[in-house]
Amino acid sequence: MGKGWCLFFLFWPVAAVVSCAMAPMVGWSFPYDNAQAASNLGIRIDGLFYLILFVTAVVFVGTQAVLVYALWRGSSNRDERATCTHGNHKLELIWSIIPGVILLFLALYQMNLWADFRIKKFFPEAAVKAPIAEVTARQFEWRFRYPAIGKKLQPKPQADDLYSVNELHVPFGKPVMIQLRSEDVQHSFFLPALRIKQDALPGLQIPVWFEANKEGVYDLVCAELCGWGHYKMKAHVIVESEADYQNYLKNLTQQQFYDGLGKIAANENDSESEATEK
Amino acid sequence: MLLLFPLFSLTGCEQPQVNFVFSEKTNELVPEAAKPVKEALVRQFGNPFELTQFEGLPTDFGDVEGSVKTVQASSGEEKLIRFQVEGLQDAYPKLLGLPLEWTSGKGQGQISRIKEYNYETGTIAVDKAADIDPQPGDTFLVECTRLQFGRDLYNRHCMHCHGMSGEGTGPTSRYLNPPPRDFRQGIYKYTSTKPTAKAQNADLERTVKEGIAGTYMPSFKLLTDDEVSAIVNYVIWLSIRGETEKKIVDELFFDYSKKVVAERTSEDGGESREDVMEELKEYMELDFPDTLEFATSSVAEAWEEANMEDAVVVPETPRVPDTPESRERGRKLYLGDKTKCATCHGPQGRGNGTATQDFWTNPATNEKYPNRGLHDIWGNQLPPRDLHRGIYRGGRRPIDVYRRMYSGIKGTPMPAFGGPLSDEELWDLVNYVMSLPYSSK
Repeated sequence: MGKGWCLFFLFWPVAAVVSCAMAPMVGWSFPYDNAQAASNLGIRIDGLFYLILFVTAVVFVGTQAVLVYALWRGSSNRDERATCTHGNHKLELIWSIIPGVILLFLALYQMNLWADFRIKKFFPEAAVKAPIAEVTARQFEWRFRYPAIGKKLQPKPQADDLYSVNELHVPFGKPVMIQLRSEDVQHSFFLPALRIKQDALPGLQIPVWFEANKEGVYDLVCAELCGWGHYKMKAHVIVESEADYQNYLKNLTQQQFYDGLGKIAANENDSESEATEK
Repeated sequence: MLLLFPLFSLTGCEQPQVNFVFSEKTNELVPEAAKPVKEALVRQFGNPFELTQFEGLPTDFGDVEGSVKTVQASSGEEKLIRFQVEGLQDAYPKLLGLPLEWTSGKGQGQISRIKEYNYETGTIAVDKAADIDPQPGDTFLVECTRLQFGRDLYNRHCMHCHGMSGEGTGPTSRYLNPPPRDFRQGIYKYTSTKPTAKAQNADLERTVKEGIAGTYMPSFKLLTDDEVSAIVNYVIWLSIRGETEKKIVDELFFDYSKKVVAERTSEDGGESREDVMEELKEYMELDFPDTLEFATSSVAEAWEEANMEDAVVVPETPRVPDTPESRERGRKLYLGDKTKCATCHGPQGRGNGTATQDFWTNPATNEKYPNRGLHDIWGNQLPPRDLHRGIYRGGRRPIDVYRRMYSGIKGTPMPAFGGPLSDEELWDLVNYVMSLPYSSK
């Protein structure tokens, strides 16, 4: 093999490392302009991601350096022929034990985070006690069912439940939990800004909790290829102050029980055209 | 394949070049009758990539005014005239291919097609012609921008199911049940208007934004209000096109469909083909222009009327309080002869009334449907709603359910009870029906 090929094989790992290092600068890193996750849990997940990235980067750079070194040496020494060996016990032990230790460390290190994220026993108690809404994924939209103001969400729909579609309002500054369902096929509840992702499975009701650490409008998308309209399955999660949230629910109640008479306050994000009607 | 990949990435996804389709009935006319009908429709409405406007429709074509700022000097060989414009900054940015009518200057009254348009620099290019000589300050109208905006959005979001002409046979339609609506009858099920009126723009906007629960129509809430209204504008325009076609074809069908002409010219019919064609020719010359004019204007008028304030169903009395007594009164009405709700929806509201076991007659053909049960005017089998499911396609507000009862569900056998029942009775019924999903029965 000529030196040209050595350089060719050197170029790719270098390009990979450089592009990876530059990614945050050109907006290829985490969603929302490489901003910090919009939830405290998300920040911890980002931390875990960076740790794994660091470990794998060290291994990648090390192995690539050895590979290029071996190629280079081989290309500059054409007299010596390669010899066949039957392995080296010490080496086998080293490269089995070191990755094993790393994996074990990662497994133990992330256990708390995983438990906080996925195991209901570790969810914030307040959120578990009062799920904020039932989220139903279906081809190709998100439908939400809130309990009436002052009431608790029941597994079965109630007469005074409040409904909305593609627009989930949640209060700011406290953990909230939703009950996730799917009406048809498998979908995935994905809040990229909050680093929350959970599959929705037909027949199951899956609790998911999150806590946004700043107010704003976040994308809710489907992260499971669910059919031709998968890419359209986009909604907004609107994180707002408790007062605004209560206001929203009041508004929703008014609209939902509207009997066609009198004016109702128009919600800024609502399509209600009858607000102007007599 | 690998070699083709860069080619695909460079060319991107082009809009498919397709045409509006004509209805089956149009294609059943003898060619001599079908041809002028099709030509008239193309003249009046154009094709999906060259929409044509004509006066008197209630849809917003979106003409925008602009004026020439500077004219670029061009060499003699250049076939286009390029000029910078003012006044189009807020207009829809894709003006390529649209007609531009000169409203002052040498070319006043002339129409040029926009051959190039650069939104960033505000430069337009049109074909060079002897009587087109734009000068700074000349004014013009660019026509159809709103409709074109709606069309682009429709093609991106709706065409997949509803089809290019709104005929309800887009590529995905074959997988959907209920099938996507065919807009060409101009009938929409869930409206706020009186029984005989068409839908208001606001009704269709609500449907686009909220979706229809229990069907495959999803919510498009993330589109802006302006985008939704542009889509609805285009959908209504498609409806008007379809209805106009239906009206003029209905006029011709009984005399000049292939089947009728074959009968008329058969031995029993006793007419010669030449005679029939002569008669058709005469009709086309004398009556067809009026028929066309009448068809468009009557359709346009109906759409206009639907948007009037008095077209909306507004209850005279507020909702009767939702008490056990009111529900009981509603239940009696539901089961009684005055409404006969149970005939279709079943005594328990499970959607399994006796009417679902009958063979019904198709009002369009006067023949019995091959399947038992109710059908809508689009020819689809239509099981009466199971009222226990708590899924309300036309909206779950009391006023929505009230309006379903007051005006019926257009295009379906669900009748209008606005006359026979008083407001209080309707509200009692609403209270009863809305309590069903939560009752133990």
